[in-house]
Order: sequence, then C-alpha cells, then structure tokens
Amino acid sequence: MIAAFFIFGPIVLAVLLALFLRGENVVSKYSALVLFTGMFGFSISLLQKLPERGYLALGSFLEVSKFDFVLTLQVDMLSTIMLLLTSLLLILVTLSSWTMERQSLYFSLLIFFSGAIFGVFMSTNFLWFFIFWELTLIPMYFLVGVWGAQRRIYAAVKFFLYTHVASMFILLAFFLIYKESGLFDMSLVKEGMLLSPVLIWWLLFIGFAVKMPIFPFHTWLPDAHVEAPAPISVLLAGVLLKMGAYAMIRMVILMLPQTSQKYAWVLLLLGLVTLFYAAFMALYETHLKKMVAYSSISHMGLVVIALATLSYSGLSAALYEMIAHAFVIAPLFLIAGFFYHKTGSWQMQDMGGIMQKAPYISALFVIAGLGALGLPGTMGFIGELSVLLSSIKSFGLWMALVALASMLGAGYIIWTLRRVIYGEMSSVVAKTDFRMNRVEFFSLILFVFVIVFFGLFPNLLFEYINAAFMQFRSIGALQ
Amino acid sequence: MITPFYILLGFGLLSIVLHRTALLKPFALTAFGIAGSVSFMTASADLKLFEIIVSSVLFAFILHEQEDITITQTLFLGASSMLLLESDSILSFVIAFESLSLISVILVSYVKTKDEVEGAVKMFIASALATGFLFLGLTFYLMGGGELQEVLHPNATLFEMIGVFIMLLALFYKLTLVPFHGWAVDTYAKVSHTNAALLSGVAKTVAVVAVFKIFEPFLALHLSFAQPLFIIVALLTMTFGNFLALFRKNIAEILAYSSVAHAGYMALAFVAVSSSYAQDGILYMAIAYIFMQSAAFLILDTLKKSYAIVSLDDLHGFAQQNPLLGALLSIQLFSLAGIPLLAGFLAKAVIFYAVVDSGLWWVALIALLNSALSVAYYAIIVKSIYFEDLKVKKLSLSNRTTAFTAQLILVAGTIFFGIFAGVIL
Repeated sequence: MIAAFFIFGPIVLAVLLALFLRGENVVSKYSALVLFTGMFGFSISLLQKLPERGYLALGSFLEVSKFDFVLTLQVDMLSTIMLLLTSLLLILVTLSSWTMERQSLYFSLLIFFSGAIFGVFMSTNFLWFFIFWELTLIPMYFLVGVWGAQRRIYAAVKFFLYTHVASMFILLAFFLIYKESGLFDMSLVKEGMLLSPVLIWWLLFIGFAVKMPIFPFHTWLPDAHVEAPAPISVLLAGVLLKMGAYAMIRMVILMLPQTSQKYAWVLLLLGLVTLFYAAFMALYETHLKKMVAYSSISHMGLVVIALATLSYSGLSAALYEMIAHAFVIAPLFLIAGFFYHKTGSWQMQDMGGIMQKAPYISALFVIAGLGALGLPGTMGFIGELSVLLSSIKSFGLWMALVALASMLGAGYIIWTLRRVIYGEMSSVVAKTDFRMNRVEFFSLILFVFVIVFFGLFPNLLFEYINAAFMQFRSIGALQ
Repeated sequence: MITPFYILLGFGLLSIVLHRTALLKPFALTAFGIAGSVSFMTASADLKLFEIIVSSVLFAFILHEQEDITITQTLFLGASSMLLLESDSILSFVIAFESLSLISVILVSYVKTKDEVEGAVKMFIASALATGFLFLGLTFYLMGGGELQEVLHPNATLFEMIGVFIMLLALFYKLTLVPFHGWAVDTYAKVSHTNAALLSGVAKTVAVVAVFKIFEPFLALHLSFAQPLFIIVALLTMTFGNFLALFRKNIAEILAYSSVAHAGYMALAFVAVSSSYAQDGILYMAIAYIFMQSAAFLILDTLKKSYAIVSLDDLHGFAQQNPLLGALLSIQLFSLAGIPLLAGFLAKAVIFYAVVDSGLWWVALIALLNSALSVAYYAIIVKSIYFEDLKVKKLSLSNRTTAFTAQLILVAGTIFFGIFAGVIL
C-alpha cells in the first residue's frame, strides 16, 4: 500500500500544487524536498526488507478481469538500487534548482516526475511499466519547453516525439509477449514461452536504445540536454537514460538471454561506435554543454559494452558505471549551466581563467571533470576499469581498445579545463560576478563528495550491485 | 416497456413548449438524468455502460449549450442514439441509423454564417448519398434472401455479399473512413463547434458501436472478405488523417482531421473481428473518444466565443491568461494523443492489442507509429498554450460556470477511464 502511495501520492500532490499555488510560492519547493527525502527513506527501508532471491511483493492494485492488467508492485535488488539512485538525485536536483524561476509549477512537475519514475522501477506489469514509462515524458516535455534555453521549443517537441515513437516499438513487443505467453508480468515471463523471441528482442532493443541512447538513435539527446535547464539535464542524464539502461538489463538481457547471446555482437558493435563517436564529437565541440552531453553519451557507450558481455561481472560493471555516470555528469551539467547563466555564452572561447574569479566552483568542476576522464580515486575510474576488465574477460585482449576511449576522454576534458577554467582571463569572465546561491553550492559539494567517496570505497556499492545480479547467476541466467 | 428512447423522445417533444424560458435547460438535464438511470436498470448488459455514458456526455453538453433549438435537437439526437444502440435487427438498425443522420442534418441546418452553410450542405449531400447506398445495399441483401427482421445472415449468397459490401460503403461515409472522409473534415471544421462536438464526438461514436454490433457476427464468418478490406481502409484513414492534420493552422481543422484518424483506429476493431478483444476494444475506444472529442470541441467553442481564438497563433501563451482552461484542453489533447493515465491510451492499447491478438502485428505496428506521429500535432497545440509568449492580451467576454462544470464532467471521464480499466473490461 505504501508503495502505491509513493507513486500516486506525488502525482496527486503535483496536480494539487499546480492548481492552488501561483508564481514563486516556496511551499512547493519544501514539499518537494520533504517528499523526495521520504522516498529516499522508503527506498532504504526496502533495502532492509529485500529477500535474498527474487522479488519483494509490495501489493497489487486495479485488477482487470479480461486482461492480465494489474498494477503489480514488486522490487528486487536491481530496482531498489535504481530507486535509491533516483531519489537521491531528485533530492540533489531540488537543492540545485533552489533559485529557479516560476517555482510552484517547476517543483510540481518535478514531483509529478518522481511519482512516475517510481512507478517505472516498481511495477513489474508490462502495461503499467509502459504507462509510467510514457508518463515521465509529460513533466519532462514541460520542464524543457518552459524553462529551457533559446531553442527549447524545438528541443522539447523533438525529445517528446522521438522517444514516444520509440516507445511504440516497446508497446508492440509487450503485446506480442502477452499474445504468446498470456502473461503481462516481467517477473514471470521466460524466453522459452515465446514463439518469436527474435522479433520481440529487436523491438525492445530499438525502443530502449533510443532512451539510453545508443548510436544511431541518440540524436534527440544533444538537443534536449543542451536546451534543458541545468538541473533538468541532470535528471535526463541521471534518471531518464538510466531508465533505458535498467529496462535493457531487465527486459532484454535477463528476460531474453538466448536471443541476447545471438545478438551480443550488435550490442558490442553499437556500444563501441557510441563510445568513440561521442568521444570524438566531444573533442570537436566548442559548445560547453554540448561537450558535456557528448561525454555523457560516450559514457553510456561504456555501459552498452559492459552489457554486451552478458556476464555477471559485466552487468555489475554496467550498473556501477551507470551510477558513476549519474554523479559525475551532474556537477558538469550544473556548473556548465551556471557559467552560461552568468556569462551569457555557451562558447568556450568566451570563457577562460574562471579559476581566478571563482576558485571554489572551478575546483568542483575540475574534480568532476577528472571523474569523467577516469582518474583513480573517483567513481569514474572504478567504472571504466570494471567495464574494461569484464569486457576483456569476455571478448579477449583486443577490448583494450576501450582504454583508448579513456584517453580520448582525458583529451577532451583536459582541453576543456584548459580553455574554460585555466588560461588567460577573458574579457567576459572579467566583468562577470560568479556568486552562487549557497544551497545550490552545497548540492554541488554533495555531488563531488559522492564521486570521491565511492571512488575510494567502491566496495560499499559493489556489495549491493553484486547482490543484485548474484541471484540471476545462481539460477543460470548469467555466466 | 419504458426505454431511454421513449423518455428522450417524450422530453424532446415536450421541450418545444419550454423554449425561451429558463426552464428548458433544467428540463433537458432531467431528461438525460432519467435516461441514464433507466439505461442502468433496463439496458442489455454489454451496452449498459455505454448508454449511461452517452447520457452523461449529452448531459454535460446541455450544460454547455446556450441555443434553445440545439437543446431540443440534442434530446432527439439522444433518443435516436439510444434507438440505434438497442437495435437488434437489420430493419430497426436502418431506421435508427437514418433517423440519427436526419437529426444530424437538421442540427447543422441551423446556420448563421457562410462557413456553416458550406459545412451543412456538404453534410447533407454526403448523408443523402450514404442513404442511397445503404438502401441499394439493403435491396441486394433482401434479393439474396436476407430477412429484414433478423440480424445479418451468416450463410451468405453472392447477392447478400454484394449487398453487405454496398451497405458497408454507405457506412464508411458515416464513419468518415477514407476515401469517403472529404465531407467530414469540412463539416466538422466549419459548422459551429458545439455541433461539431455532437457530430464527431457523439453521433459518430454511437454509429460505430452500433455498426460493429450488427456487422460483427457476419464479418467474423467472412474473414477473407472483411480483413483485407478493413486493413486497407483503416490504415489509409489513420495515415491520411494524421498527415493532413500536421499541416493545419486552424485548431478546428486539426481536430477534424484527428477525428478522421480516430475513425481509422476504430476501424481496426473490424480488422480484428476474429479476436475476442475486438468488442472490448471498440467499446473502450468509443467511451474514451466520446469524452475527449466532445470536450475538446466544447473547449474550442469557449475559446472562440470568449477569447476569439481560432488558429494556433491566437492560442500563444493562453496558459498565462486562463491556466485552468489551458490545462483542461491539454489533458484532452494528450488523451487524444494516447498518453497514459488518460482514457485515450487504454482505448488504443486494447484495440491495438486486439489486432495483435488476431495475428496481424504489422498492422498494429503501422497503427502504433501513426499514433506516435499524431502526437506531433497535439504536442504543437500544447506547445502554443504553454511555451509561447502571450502576445496580445485578450479580454474574456463571459465566464460561464455551467460550461466549466460540463468540462469537469468530461475531464473526470477521461481520467477515470484512463486508470480504472476494470469498469469496462
């Protein structure tokens, strides 16, 4: 019951707040903070209750007699980790949008989003999963369209359409699964029950690949990321992309293991292309936020390569890299957005020497950047290393190629730092006032703290990540 | 036996006495209240819910409507809708169907502007043609040995098949399926928006449900005849409607094309007659559609009358002026687009699943992609409401609470049937 409350409660609350609050009412901000903290606490309490194997049932609602269409709420370790990540990010995003304009509406949409995203990670019924999956688009559409930069409208409509079209493939796959197995529950469907697993695999793969995003389905992302306000870029990268990766793990790799084995080369190939293509694009980019967006895609390429191994160690590496990516990319987006807000320019040549004007913020940017290039001692290093090791284990030594992308990453990050943070102070920077709201600064420190803390003590995280996939290994679904 | 048809017919005849008095509206509201409760007690199980919903949507419509004549005609339209839904033989079907089209023609003949004349004339000609075809088909059908007082014959002779085919062509006119959709777009966009709400929201939906009820047993036995015909017609209709809607600037025209596209989705139920879910699919689609399409056109009416908004450009920044109405319109549009937690999504899901269930997954894929494409023009209307800046401040002429109550009833239906599917399925 309480689980359903954390899905529909936020949605109802968001509608009420949007109806009754106007303009800059701070109530919405604080209710968002309290709600997300409650969600985080709820996710931690789930962690305590999880059984060693299988799902923890959290109730089922809204039954339908003619279809297997029930809101079944179940969590296992994998979804609980996603819930924890999401609720923590939501808290941090709330803090970092502390001074956002038109607050009431903004935070109402954020609250709406939180309910939908909890639904995605908790419901195991395909149709309800899809309902929540699509529902996350609505708040995102408005958040990008109303609070975004100059080309916000184009970006919002493109994001909405592109991901919606992709979702149609997912829905068709779910229908086919239901027709062939008579089940609408992802915790029960097994590959053996399906008559056309190959068709279903491709439909699901394309649908989720758009969300992740995997080359060549990534073109919505640079636009959406760049035009979205900085905290929303964090949500897009930290939650929406992770939603795609989560679905890819759960419904493609774990549910259809044999077909995935057959098409692992597709995943590997596209993962490599994504990794290198995005890295080169980032190297070429002079637009600060676009650079960060491409580096984000490049990191998702690493996740795809780790998934392609279809092994226990590979999936663990992928999940760690997903979490690392969420925390590493967030401060980069936030600070890039902050620089734009202050200087009025996205171009790197307009910046330079910010370190001399704003040493603290620049230091945070540098640490996050080093996390992105995989410096030992940060989460980025552990993520890249574990992906590299697991892929070498599965595909042989030629996968050392992946390390090459790390070098490219070092290239574009350090070159960006050179152009933006260090170097001679530009005239634009000289006349800009770089003072930041304290709460927003605090959220940045928290992000950087997480990057370093779990970089130094990855075991604390791997303990849970390994537990998430151990159960699939023991039933033979994974090598 | 007292049926909703007799009640609405009686109230309709009596309502003429009450014209130009304040009593007319409460009188008509009572009529639909009673009709709804009578359907609850007497109607056959599979159509009970739908009849109640038709009554409540017409109830909301009366709340919105200001013209005395239209209120009386709405009562008659409700009466013939109920008759059509309860028809159980070819004879009663044809009579009820013709009375519904007659009422529709009379409804639009109350013209005030040149545009409305154009819409009305097109509708009249299309109706006349459709009637001709329907009777031609019926003649063939009877020649082939069909009986008037029975449902469609299962063991078809050649003449019967030809008869049914011609009758279907006539019905395609009414259901605005491509290539017989031309009149509908002009009529829906040009007649007054409240009439368009009745025609495209209520009359067409009722007709689809009734046609499905009468023709389903016959078509299910002649799949090799029905499936190819309806696959072509349905896919053409939705693709045509969606593509043409993309390039319109006038909101009423967009909704008119979207109505054509939705006729295509409904035709999918005929494609899937072999599936046991087709019946649920068309019922769900009808219920969702009657709420959202009527609501969208009624809001359009308020926009036109109170804010002089006709095209997308006029709508810019509307949310800053009237956030509540903007939100209501957005919800209905998202429902039409098939966004979850709204009735439109579940309706499409059930009907598309029925298609997959009958083994035609590629038809479902084209339909799904069509539905995704349709999001473009709905999202563009929402974009105009929320993302653009308010250019000219328009003054509201009147703010009627009854019209607002009507919207609340309709939006409640859209949201309720988007979450509680168990009521229908």
